[in-house]
Amino acid sequence: MSRPANPNAMQPERPGRTRTAPPQLPPKFPFSGRYRAYTLFDWTGLIYLLLGFLALRVVWALGSGEPAWNHVIRDFEHPLYIAFHVLSLASLIFAGVRFFRFFPKSQLPRVGPVKPPPQPVILAGLYAAWIGVTVVFSLVLTGVLFQ
Amino acid sequence: MSERPKKKFIVTRFDPDTDDVPRTQEYEIPVEKDWKVLDALNFIKDEVDGTLSHRWSCRMAVCGSCGMMVDGEPKLTCKEPLSSYGDTVEVAPLSNFPVIRDLVVELEGFMDKFKSVKPWIVRAKRLAVEEGPMRQSPEELEEFKQFSMCINCMLCYAACPVVANEPDFIGPAAIALGHRYSLDSRDEGAAERNEIFRGEGTVFSCSFANECSEVCPKHVDPAAAVNQAKFAAVIDWATGLVLPRGGER
Amino acid sequence: MIEVLRHDILIVGGGAAGLRAAIAVVETDPTLSVALVSKVYPMRSHTVSAEGGAAAVARVDDTFEMHGYDTVKGSDFLGDQDVIQYFVEEAPKELTLLEHWGCPWSRNEDGTVATRAFGGMSTKRTWYAADKVGFHMLHSLFQHSLQFDQIVRYDENFVTRLLVDDGAVRGVATLDIREGVVRVILGRAVIMATGGAGKIFPFTTNGTIKTGDGMALAYRSGVALKDMEFVQYHPTGLPGTGILITEATRGEGGHLKNSRGERFLVEYDYGVGNKAELGPRDMISRAITQEIEAGRGVEGSYGTFVYLDLRHLGEEKINKRLPMVRELAKIYAGVDPVSEPIPIRPVVHYMMGGIDTDITAGTSLPGLYAAGEVASASLNGANRLGSNSLTECLVFGAEAGRNAVVFAKGIGDGNQAALVAQGEEEAARVDALRGRQKGGEKLSHIRNEMTRSMESGCGVYREQASMDDTVRKMAELKGRYADIGLQDSSKVFNTELVAAMELGAMLDVAEAVAASAASRRESRGAHTRKDAPNRDDQNFLHHTLCHFDPTGPRIGRKEVTLGKWEPEERKY
Repeated sequence: MSRPANPNAMQPERPGRTRTAPPQLPPKFPFSGRYRAYTLFDWTGLIYLLLGFLALRVVWALGSGEPAWNHVIRDFEHPLYIAFHVLSLASLIFAGVRFFRFFPKSQLPRVGPVKPPPQPVILAGLYAAWIGVTVVFSLVLTGVLFQ
Repeated sequence: MSERPKKKFIVTRFDPDTDDVPRTQEYEIPVEKDWKVLDALNFIKDEVDGTLSHRWSCRMAVCGSCGMMVDGEPKLTCKEPLSSYGDTVEVAPLSNFPVIRDLVVELEGFMDKFKSVKPWIVRAKRLAVEEGPMRQSPEELEEFKQFSMCINCMLCYAACPVVANEPDFIGPAAIALGHRYSLDSRDEGAAERNEIFRGEGTVFSCSFANECSEVCPKHVDPAAAVNQAKFAAVIDWATGLVLPRGGER
Repeated sequence: MIEVLRHDILIVGGGAAGLRAAIAVVETDPTLSVALVSKVYPMRSHTVSAEGGAAAVARVDDTFEMHGYDTVKGSDFLGDQDVIQYFVEEAPKELTLLEHWGCPWSRNEDGTVATRAFGGMSTKRTWYAADKVGFHMLHSLFQHSLQFDQIVRYDENFVTRLLVDDGAVRGVATLDIREGVVRVILGRAVIMATGGAGKIFPFTTNGTIKTGDGMALAYRSGVALKDMEFVQYHPTGLPGTGILITEATRGEGGHLKNSRGERFLVEYDYGVGNKAELGPRDMISRAITQEIEAGRGVEGSYGTFVYLDLRHLGEEKINKRLPMVRELAKIYAGVDPVSEPIPIRPVVHYMMGGIDTDITAGTSLPGLYAAGEVASASLNGANRLGSNSLTECLVFGAEAGRNAVVFAKGIGDGNQAALVAQGEEEAARVDALRGRQKGGEKLSHIRNEMTRSMESGCGVYREQASMDDTVRKMAELKGRYADIGLQDSSKVFNTELVAAMELGAMLDVAEAVAASAASRRESRGAHTRKDAPNRDDQNFLHHTLCHFDPTGPRIGRKEVTLGKWEPEERKY
């Protein structure tokens, strides 16, 4: 059978006058059916947390002189770090695609006199911006631009 | 006349006076090929077991009574063709709701949440009937029309992981209906509703699982409404800091 | 000791009429407390399934005179003209109020409310909300009503008896379906708004809740049921399920075709003239029945049908004006109307007859009012025009509410002890009915026999012998009903008990329909007899009254209120 949800889920303010059976979780939650993608999406938050610590480390190294910086860069050649970075990239793409899919419909039909562009245009714009920024960053970090 | 094929139904049963916890009961019945799941339940009740309790009425997917979990997914049983399912079908009451009896769930929790968003036209001054209908362009009608299609069937509440875990969350249908009124050009209550959306039942509990919209039989897209409501609530809060009475829509 | 609750006005039924009445009471006097008692949550009321529209004069080229005449003629001159006059004048106000309350009427480009053509209407006066007008009206009314704390809802409460003392109705006994407990609710006026009783027939657009509960309650309390023989067959329902395919499909230009692909309403003379598919419902239902009898119908697994062809309207128009029809046809008939014609046949849809009321929505029982399909004012006479009934719910729901307030202020409380004693009697009766294992009669079998007999005796075409058979059959079934066996003895949410009480109500209503039909020896409106095919104003220009009597229904008559329109031949 199912597992219990929060016992107060959908309970009325005034308790009903007969005894009710407690609310149950949707059977497919959290690892079956469509919930799997949602749960994974939620869990990519862990990745971002770790990336955040990593970013702090990189910034600290930036301010600690060239030897510290080179140390960090050498660390990044370790297979575990490479694996983590690949996983991060996959998570970001997964989360990004999911977020982009939902973002257009979350726009109000109108704010004051201003209407958003049609949803396909918003979607195209998001991808254009994402890809564009990625390309520019890559060109900068690989030294093609601003070297 | 040829024999009708048989299907097995595993149905959740619960009578608070005789059952500690819900149990299941199996029924094997002959079925017609164009039956919906509801037709099978009605056959069980009429011909096999008169003690089975379930809600239904219109049988054309517009009254919202017959929502249940069919093979683990929230469905309108009057709309679900039996042919989509295998030889054994599981029918259970909607998830996330307290269960009153068999397949009948407690709806008062929803009625409380629903009322809390003020789902009616809020106007400072009521129009006199002599003034005739208000004008509303087809474009203005389109802005909220989709969200007005909600039949209050509660499938979205049964699917939502946040409803399952955060009892205060107002929930998809109620937020969608509140938002429907805020978007209606004839309404002046957006500011009040935005405050409610930022309050205890906060719309920000929504983590965009989008399950509500996946299961909605009327294509209301409550996930769109809830997440639009987030923007509306923030814009309202921000303009409230700058302007004395909050922004006008 | 039975629990006794108290309110000022009691309303039974939470559909368009009941909700409108509740709002009217609060608007008339906000200090009063209203009990809204319904066997389902209000948003499940069958109002929700109405699709086409609600009529009211709206355009400059339209007048009350025209709407009135269309309605009188549509009623085959059996409608009461004072009622009709009042109705057409109030109609635009009511639909306007609903607009103020948020109803999303479909609009013209300039922002005004749009109107569409409808059967029997001489001009476009049907306000619509895509093809889900009942849904939008019901939800707008319900949501609007939520802001009034004076309206106390008793959801999933089945009223089992009217409590009468000293010649007036003073309360109800109601079964709380969830708890399985009978309670007494006392009030100073009761408004019945429980809808019709299509479920006495096997093929109907109606949902399972349409079992005539309110008609039976009034009937058993001595109030007459009026014009019960007039049962409207909606021309276009899906075969098998009976699901409604709105008249708006014809209003937007759909065609009815037989097995040869002919538009038979144009090809042959069925009295609808060049209105063709926009003729009144009774005539079109008869035409389809005759086409099928002439062998030009199409055979299917649920009997013979004809086609409703919308293909020529185009996908865009269908998606914009008839989106729900497209969905219904796909889900329940397996056809896409954009590329295939829809199979349809006449199905029972509406009861013109009901509790005998007048222009005040009052009945012969002081304190009892009735509005909507449950009532017969009579607005619709022998045949109702499409899109008049939703407006009727609003006009007479409001009128009932206002008049109930006036009555309530002038009356006392009645003898509390006597009323509570009646309630205790009801509680005992209901408790005895619950789960009574004895008897071999199965609920569903009695129900099926009832519907089959009603179909054969009170179908589109009737004759004396089969009507008399049905009258006898109903008496027999009532006897067998007393011996019914029920399996469910539980208290909490016992739906078998409710179904048993609904069957009791249906048998009462069915006997009234059959007896009334057998007594009217003419054809008028929806009551068509093969053995009396003409209208007989000389002998039958009157309403049929049916009174409850333990030895069998007692038939009487009531005068029609004529007015500026003299009965004439009904040709289109």
